[in-house]
Amino acid sequence: MTSPIGGISLPTLPGIGALGGPSGVGSVVPAPAPGSADGFAAALTGALDQLGSLQSSKDQLAVQAATGDLRDVHDYMIAAQEASVATEMVVTIKNKAVEAFTEIMRMPV
Amino acid sequence: MFDGLDISGSGISVHRRWMDAVSDNIANINTVSSTDGEAFKERMVVAQAVDYGSGEGGVRIAGAEFGSGEGRLVYEPDHPLADSEGYVRYPDIDLGDQMTQLIMAQRGYQANLASLERATTAYQAALQLGKG
Repeated sequence: MTSPIGGISLPTLPGIGALGGPSGVGSVVPAPAPGSADGFAAALTGALDQLGSLQSSKDQLAVQAATGDLRDVHDYMIAAQEASVATEMVVTIKNKAVEAFTEIMRMPV
Repeated sequence: MFDGLDISGSGISVHRRWMDAVSDNIANINTVSSTDGEAFKERMVVAQAVDYGSGEGGVRIAGAEFGSGEGRLVYEPDHPLADSEGYVRYPDIDLGDQMTQLIMAQRGYQANLASLERATTAYQAALQLGKG
């Protein structure tokens, strides 16, 4: 029963070895491969940027609808739908990130 | 990111323009002109595919085509626009044909709306992965 747990080898987590002292903390940050490190941050920033542009195009169409300049009803509806789904997505990603952070913070030291 | 929605949106736009053209044709079906002028020309939209491989799919309006301006001559001697022989020019538009086109445009519009709705549902279902 306990043997699989004992089977976990620490060397698969090289980052832990770097946590030897306070100086090691700094080295933990660049330790993961740069690609995977930017991965999440880049995805989040990209999603936020995209959300910003979707929101602004939606706002633009909302103004057009209010002023009577809107030519296509569905354009506004699609933009609103896109903005809403994008917001939902960014919020979900944010929640996941916060969840992961609190999970790590809850880790007994 | 939401290509499915944009593609469906382009389809909806094209079908709306088609409905506009049909409405224009029906609105002018009784527009009379004198025989020395041209009759109202039937409006037809030309749709063109936006290549899917180019990264943006969908359809767009490539332009408009116009039917014959010759129309058909109708004998209406009482008409103020009638010529010396009593003829006026009516546009050569068939109401039955326009009605058929109207149904096609409407159904196409609805089909694009349905695919738009499905795409939205699919995206929202994918978001469920991140919840819970």
